[in-house]
Amino acid sequence: MRIAVTGANGDYGKLLLPRLEADPGVESILVLDTKEPQGTRKVEFHRVDLTRYDAEAELTDALTERPVDALFHLAFLFGPILNGPLAHELEVIGTMNVLTAVGRARLPRLVVPSLTVTYGARGNNPALLRESSPLFGCPHSRFVNDKVEVEGQVRAFRERHPDTRTLVLRFAPLLGKSLDNPVTRLLSHSVVPTLLGFDPLWQAVHEEDAGRALHLALRADVAGEFNIVGRGVLPWSGLIRQAGAQPLPLPGPLFRGALRALGVVGAGTLPVALLDYMHYSWVADGERAESALGFVPVHHVRDAASALRRSQS
Amino acid sequence: MTKGVLGNDPFQRGAAPRTGEVKDAAPDPKAAKKAAAPKSGKGAKSAGKAKSAKGGAPKSGPRAKAPKGGKGAEAKQAAATPKTPAARVHMFEARTNGSGNAKHEQDVHAPGEEISPLREPSPPGPASEPRPSRPQVLADEVRGSRPQERKVDRALTEAIASDAAEAAAKTAVDELFEGRRGPDRDIERVLATELVAELAESAVRQVLDDGNGSAPEREVATAVATQVAEATAGVAVDEVLDRHAISPEERALTSAEDTDLDADDEATDEVWTANAWQRDPKDVPPPEEPEEVWTADAWSRDPGGTSAPEGPEEEDDFESGVERVEENGVSISVSIIEGAAPTDVEPEVELPDESHDELPPSRRPLSLVSDPGEAPLEETPERDERGYDRPEESAPPAGFAGRAVGMLSLAKEIAGQALASDGLGRAMGAMHGLMEAVRTSLGTGGGSRLDDYGKDAGLVENLQPVLDFLYEQYWRVSVEGVDQVPRGAAILVANHSGALPYDGLVMSQALQRERPDLLEARWLVEDQVFHAPMLGTLFNRLGAVRASPENALRLLDEHRPLVVFPEGYQGASKPFAERYRLKRFGRGGFVKLALRTGAPIVPVAIVGAEETSPLLGRIPGGFLGFPSLPLTAPGPLPAKWTIRFGEPLTMEGLAPEAADDLGEVQRLTERTRESIQSMLQALLRERRSVFAG
Repeated sequence: MRIAVTGANGDYGKLLLPRLEADPGVESILVLDTKEPQGTRKVEFHRVDLTRYDAEAELTDALTERPVDALFHLAFLFGPILNGPLAHELEVIGTMNVLTAVGRARLPRLVVPSLTVTYGARGNNPALLRESSPLFGCPHSRFVNDKVEVEGQVRAFRERHPDTRTLVLRFAPLLGKSLDNPVTRLLSHSVVPTLLGFDPLWQAVHEEDAGRALHLALRADVAGEFNIVGRGVLPWSGLIRQAGAQPLPLPGPLFRGALRALGVVGAGTLPVALLDYMHYSWVADGERAESALGFVPVHHVRDAASALRRSQS
Repeated sequence: MTKGVLGNDPFQRGAAPRTGEVKDAAPDPKAAKKAAAPKSGKGAKSAGKAKSAKGGAPKSGPRAKAPKGGKGAEAKQAAATPKTPAARVHMFEARTNGSGNAKHEQDVHAPGEEISPLREPSPPGPASEPRPSRPQVLADEVRGSRPQERKVDRALTEAIASDAAEAAAKTAVDELFEGRRGPDRDIERVLATELVAELAESAVRQVLDDGNGSAPEREVATAVATQVAEATAGVAVDEVLDRHAISPEERALTSAEDTDLDADDEATDEVWTANAWQRDPKDVPPPEEPEEVWTADAWSRDPGGTSAPEGPEEEDDFESGVERVEENGVSISVSIIEGAAPTDVEPEVELPDESHDELPPSRRPLSLVSDPGEAPLEETPERDERGYDRPEESAPPAGFAGRAVGMLSLAKEIAGQALASDGLGRAMGAMHGLMEAVRTSLGTGGGSRLDDYGKDAGLVENLQPVLDFLYEQYWRVSVEGVDQVPRGAAILVANHSGALPYDGLVMSQALQRERPDLLEARWLVEDQVFHAPMLGTLFNRLGAVRASPENALRLLDEHRPLVVFPEGYQGASKPFAERYRLKRFGRGGFVKLALRTGAPIVPVAIVGAEETSPLLGRIPGGFLGFPSLPLTAPGPLPAKWTIRFGEPLTMEGLAPEAADDLGEVQRLTERTRESIQSMLQALLRERRSVFAG
């Protein structure tokens, strides 16, 4: 089995590559990235910059030259987005290029990770969001809205290419010591703000569970979207406590104003969009991943959060 | 009390004799049974020595007044020679038992049975099977190896034990004082407590001196302290009361009596201190099981002791410690218990058996009494303090410092006592639950036992005392016809009422109590409440679910009873004048739900909720994201609640497609509404008073 991976150096890539390396069924891994991942045996490296105008041609060449059984499109940003247009270029345009190349090469399988934050935190969310729920995104967040746009592209691709088995894994916030995303950065502070009077339910996935889910997607005989969530839920304050920080409740209008001001000044480290996620619950139902994909989370949200604490100390 | 920790320097007192003893003991025979005898003999002998050292206080009849007079000196000696307190205990026991019984008692409470009477007064019980002798090799090795550590251990143990002793003493004495009154009750109480604690501590010291000071011994010491304290409480109380009752002139008389008694005692005293102690442990092998049992009990009762660490060599050491207790400490407490007045109400402790009361109360507490104050007649607090401090005079702080320490320890004890009492414990639990509820509603509560809907089982558990109080005593909820609620999925349709919607919470509580066979019920709340800051968060953690068809379907799929309030926010915001008049039932969502799932509809009428939080007015609350803030009573009012469950409307014969038939939906909605309204009117007619029901 030959596999292609974009974004092998990202968070998802770091979770998946060791598993593929250890998988005896995987002969080789074609890494399509700007730099070669370290310490790998099965990797064939092909340098592709997804943000370049000729990325699509490069990808098509690479994929037709050395046909693969599956492509993991993992090139997504989780770091602080300093360059908004570049992020947009990478995520939306890069995904477009990848999808086109996959279509041309007629790959049998495509796996794209996404996030449950794309459902959006809204007052009229049901208690548990199923995969069929519409993705409302978050009005103020480029980060989330880019992901929603990517999902739209992938859905359109899936409808046009029924031969390609396309899996979209919507991950709850990933927590783990090796990960760097907005939530882990927020939880690494000793005091984490909450909205006074609100304590929505949060989910999280332990990094091990996330890696396992990605690996499962390699062989599953299903297609479509799956919510990949850890066991159980925690209120936001509980998550903060489990991660070893202290919740600091701030009255909403004040909080929002302060964040805006900080954002204007340019010191804003906390995305304003997170406020919505501290206000309303957005709990995704992991039932389908369990029954169809065979993904049963091992770690409770608690464990995921306290793993974060251990890594900080 | 602090005394044990601050006043006594355990290192000074315990260390020197210990090392000596260790040297003595190390070459002792290794086998446990054999080892026990010489040691106990040694203890007894030294006890005898101590007695004579004290100027023959207990023995010399004519000088019976002497122990009282020479109390300070005696106390000093107590601090200097660690055997002395134990000796005092022995003495005390002898008197308690009375001259004739001393030996008999000793035999009856041979080590094999010593322990069981503490738990079960009447029969020695099956627990008293003799345990096989167990080699103490390991314990001895341990003992020999680390004298430094043992010193520290011992100090710790003493501190812990004395804490325990004082706690137990306080409890016991307080309980004894429960029924009595008097002008100086407090003083008496303090005196008695002090006495008892003192005795218990001496017993502990005795045990420790004979023991090897290892970690598990702490448990034993603590246990001994507690037991002795409880046992002696009755005696001490009686004594204090007696002393208080009699005037100085009479006192002289009494002491003369005492003297006689002492003289009587003397012979037996001698006999059993010298012989019985030595002999008993040899004759009857001590038990194993019961010891452990009551140690555990004592532990659970005693917060101070719980912190004692458990060493890896626990088993061996523990047992060796246990043995020593049996030899020395426990038999003391047992025999005293026999003679004690009603001591302890705690179920795990022996309830005193009056039939065993072999001593007339007046004779009971003799030499014991002489301890705390030879001039207790003009008992002023200051004097008391000094009386307590005296036995501790080895510790330098006297005068003001001593008093301060005494006051401090008193205060600490009172606080501890208050915390330990049952009612207060419940109140504290409730307070804790409320605090947690407040924190939860502020959004800082955390909580880790949430289900998918957001109900926090931990919070509900902590709040249960509050909910129980509200349900049973404050609102006195009476439930009628709850048997009509069918098993499995059911839609309970109720009238919404009150400015603050407690009704869902009470409904779920009622179902949980009256119908434990049903799955946990959930109630749906409208967005205005669910997304209200604080209130919504709290309700969510208590089990409210946001009203939406998806949530309702999911809950019914789980075969839960589902409580809905179709009036919605309109219902909760009725003015007080329109109470119990049903509003429009939404768009009949619950009927569609019932038709789709086939779940029966159970109409429910709730009376009392409207008066619990009457809506008096509204404050515009747009700035908080609220349509309006209800102006209501500051807290829930104690109206009596009645919940009546009506006949269920089954959906039999109706196809799920009927959900799209607006006419059908309308008909069923109206039927439900009428049913609830008629029940409401009936309930209101039956009700004579809003608050009395």
